[in-house]
Amino acid sequence: MNARLQPAGGFTGTGLVKRFRRGAETVSALAGVGLEVGSGEFVALVGPSGSGKSTLLALLCGWETADEGELAYLGPLAGRRPEGFGWRDLALVPQALGLVADLSLADNVLLPARLSGTLAAEEARARSLLTAFGVEHLADRYPHQASLGEQQRVAVARALLLRPAVLLADEPTAHQDRGHADRLLDAVTDAAREGSAVLIATHDEIAWARADRVLSMRDGVVTEGLPS
Amino acid sequence: MSRPPLWRLTPWTRAPWLGLRQPAAVIAVLVTSAILACAVASAPLFLSSARSAALQQQLSQRCDEVARPQTGVQSALVDEQLQPLDGGDGSSRPELDESLLQAWADAGLEAEPVLATAAIGSSSPGSPGALVRGPDGAALSQPVTLFHRPAALDNVEVVEAGNGSGVWVPASVAEQDGLAIGDQLAFGTQQAPVAGIYQDLAVANPDDPYWCDYRLLFSNEASANRAPPAMLLVTDESTFYRLATAAAGGATRLQQVPVDASSLSVSDVRDQRETQERIVAASGLASEFAPGVRAIAVPNDRLPDVLERAGLIESGLRGPVVPVAVAGALLALVLVASAGSFWADRRATEVRLLAARGVGPVPLAGKAALELGLPALAGAALGWAASRVLITGLGPSDDLDPSATSAAAWAGVAAFVVGLGAASAVAGLRARGTAERPLGAAPRWPARVPWELALLLGAAWCWLLLQSRDAVVSVAYVAQVNGLLVAFPLLAIAGAAVLLGRGVTASLPRLRRWAGRRPPAVFLALNRLSAARLATATLLVAVTLPVAVLGYTATLTASSQTTLDAKVGVQIGAAAAATTVTRFEVTPALEAAGTYVVRYDGSAVAGDDGRTDVQVLAVDPDDFADTAFWDDSFADRPLAELLTALTGPEVDGRLPVVAAGLPAGDPDLRLGTTAVPAEVTATARVLPGRRSGDPVVLVAADRLPEISRNAGAAPAAELWTNGDLGAGIDALTDAGGQNIRVLTPGGVQESANFLGITWTFGYLSALAVFVGVIAVGGLLLYLEARSRSRVSGYVMARRLGLSRGAHLRSLLVELVGVAVAGLLLGTLLAAGAVALVYRRLDVDLVRPPTPLLDVPWSAIAGTAVATVVVAGLAALYAQRAADRADPASVLREDA
Repeated sequence: MNARLQPAGGFTGTGLVKRFRRGAETVSALAGVGLEVGSGEFVALVGPSGSGKSTLLALLCGWETADEGELAYLGPLAGRRPEGFGWRDLALVPQALGLVADLSLADNVLLPARLSGTLAAEEARARSLLTAFGVEHLADRYPHQASLGEQQRVAVARALLLRPAVLLADEPTAHQDRGHADRLLDAVTDAAREGSAVLIATHDEIAWARADRVLSMRDGVVTEGLPS
Repeated sequence: MSRPPLWRLTPWTRAPWLGLRQPAAVIAVLVTSAILACAVASAPLFLSSARSAALQQQLSQRCDEVARPQTGVQSALVDEQLQPLDGGDGSSRPELDESLLQAWADAGLEAEPVLATAAIGSSSPGSPGALVRGPDGAALSQPVTLFHRPAALDNVEVVEAGNGSGVWVPASVAEQDGLAIGDQLAFGTQQAPVAGIYQDLAVANPDDPYWCDYRLLFSNEASANRAPPAMLLVTDESTFYRLATAAAGGATRLQQVPVDASSLSVSDVRDQRETQERIVAASGLASEFAPGVRAIAVPNDRLPDVLERAGLIESGLRGPVVPVAVAGALLALVLVASAGSFWADRRATEVRLLAARGVGPVPLAGKAALELGLPALAGAALGWAASRVLITGLGPSDDLDPSATSAAAWAGVAAFVVGLGAASAVAGLRARGTAERPLGAAPRWPARVPWELALLLGAAWCWLLLQSRDAVVSVAYVAQVNGLLVAFPLLAIAGAAVLLGRGVTASLPRLRRWAGRRPPAVFLALNRLSAARLATATLLVAVTLPVAVLGYTATLTASSQTTLDAKVGVQIGAAAAATTVTRFEVTPALEAAGTYVVRYDGSAVAGDDGRTDVQVLAVDPDDFADTAFWDDSFADRPLAELLTALTGPEVDGRLPVVAAGLPAGDPDLRLGTTAVPAEVTATARVLPGRRSGDPVVLVAADRLPEISRNAGAAPAAELWTNGDLGAGIDALTDAGGQNIRVLTPGGVQESANFLGITWTFGYLSALAVFVGVIAVGGLLLYLEARSRSRVSGYVMARRLGLSRGAHLRSLLVELVGVAVAGLLLGTLLAAGAVALVYRRLDVDLVRPPTPLLDVPWSAIAGTAVATVVVAGLAALYAQRAADRADPASVLREDA
């Protein structure tokens, strides 16, 4: 892996509240979340389904806005809103992976570089990531021609391509066998060591063990440490 | 415990309502079923509409009375010994009139009684008339016929009116025989005074609808050499019977049902004709005069002829319309089947689950049928209604036969059944296939077989058949297009479009590689097209087909019309012409009205051929080209340039001429008995004024030697004009011309009916527009079917750094690119089909010129603009849908 370090990033959230209307009922997906993830830190977010993990990630990446509370990015991202971030600032692996169905797996990995005008410079790294994740032989296939686990590894490779200052991932090892899950966790850990602020929502207990910190989430509230 | 049958499980029992959860699939099936039903239902409606229009068009060119159902009695007024019958007034059978009127009333129709006419000397119109003596006891200068009809005197131009009963005489007779008001005329033993003088109807009322059906009584159309008897108008019925009986004449009393001929359908006319026949049969009147028979029935015997010609036009249309309708229906069926596939995509989660639990394609198809049945039924009903609205609004006529409406309804039912079956079958197969298909599997073999070659082979077979048959046939002066002439280009265009589409999409992977180094918009667009090659090919063909069919039909329609106009123009010589065989002086007014031509019957010997008949036109080279009809295809040089050859010097005493159709060599012209050696100084393929297959020769009038009227050259003077024909006729009359006949486009075209051709191509054009609608429907299905992956890809790509503008550009490149490719391919195919066919589409084989090509550039440009605009709008629609997506929810769904 390239040893180039990212500038310090990270973010803090204080009292984050997000409510949704479900018919006549109001649901608080986030009920005053406070968290901090620093540059070079690998944090695992743990919690049962429906606890608000995905909503928190969507809010952190700018797809949702908080009804209350304050979200601040640090270092070179300070003062900017997440919806304006580029892939180099903030990359993510959504739950649905978000691979572009009409592009080959290799083109999916390279798409951020293509859109940022650094295609030639990142081609070698893209190949390296595909090889590292064991999907280089599928490079010319379309997403629907690969298994869900293979697609997931491609999505993680795409997220890592530009060495983002912040990396968010929603269940990045959910569809992996142990071996591939470990390789993904290795790569994520490396990203953190290179300076990325990494937050992954996961049910994978190995991931909890490898993370620098674990945050537990239940009923829209985040607490430090493993769930009881 | 045994498992209940599948159809009793919830996914099937609740299926009709489950379908409503997928409004996109419901709408897709509803709309595509409507298109299918519209395609099949429109054929019987169109044929009925065309039949009605053909009927109405014929009736509009004829007198109002032709369309009127009628009964009547034509009776002799004297017996074989010339003794008056029934007391001599002929009106002694009022009970018969009353009973016939009552019979019409019983049939729900109101008839009006008309005492139409009585001819004397003979009982038929156009009779030689009878001699009548004037006040001096001498016979009038011409025979007369008597006429009485209520309000007749209100419809003449009065020259001089007297009082009381008697007869009105035409001004020409009054002048010639010195008749004045009050003079007594003798009709056998009876006398009547001249009660008025009216302007001759041929002069004052030639086009008056009131007199239209009696034109034979005053106009000389039947024979150019003999004037009709003078028509004396009798002021009242009793005088009429008195005089007609004295002159041994007959009378005709009619009961006519006034109908609006402009809104009649064939069914209406058939019904009225049946009523007429029933009433006539019930009257007990004989149909023909025979010994002892003094009165016969007079039904309207022109209705069968009108019906027969309308039927001929319809049967001529049936050949091309049926294959066109079938082609449209097949295309629409493909669209309905695609909607079934779309349903399977939309219900992917559920059908995958069912398939995983062992449900086969048949139960899945049944589930699809239950879910899609209601929308398909509603769509079929809508399609039927739409076909009615479209045909009545845009078809040849809005008067449809009830039988056609019910046939269209049955066609709609068939469309519903077949369409639902196709959609369900495809949905079942697709649902099962999606669930079972291994990842990365190659396309199945049916997708790789070039089925379109069968279409091309069919086209080739049609073309071969066409080589030995006429492309246009004329049956009883009704031009009909051979169905092969429609089937051939349709099959060829469809086959070639699919083949080209397959070829173009086969090159997409190479284009995709090329796009790797292009801007993101191009890269994304070409990748999208390449990733869905079948959809891309379908979309490309869906654009190519309507463009090609529309270009083909529009060009052939325009070319047919241009050719027909040219034939009429060549026939007449200009926009209109007036001819006379009498002598007259050329006046300035005549010269101002147009160009003056003298036509001679001649013959020529040229080369080794024998003597051949020739039409020689003596023209004024100075103004002939300004007025004469001309198309640049008639010769290699403009007409004005050809005419300069007429003013050149004589060569060895030979007169310079311009010729068309003559064998090579200088002709030995002969105008009757007068020899005119000539030198052909210029030639043309067609010359204006050619009215037969004979060659035409133009010669300068002022250089032609005097041709004696006894030379047998039958000279006829003609005034050709592009302006007001009436002014030309006035000028010709003032100059001394008599017995003037006119040639107008309407009159020339009356001799042949081209409606069948016009409507055939009109229907083809409608098919092209219809295919365009199918293409738009296909485009929307294409967008909808891919919207999930498109939106998902878009929101993620936005996060990755793709700008909204770049995404919109990529959509424009994708959709407009396909549209432009389809336009180019469609135009290419249309050009090829037109090039193969247009020379064979000669709407009138007798008259020159041969078919001309007229490309309707504005229609083609309009099609191109419309196609690109629709593609652009579709891109904006797709962009809007992507913009409205909520990234958080889109990317939280299952991958």
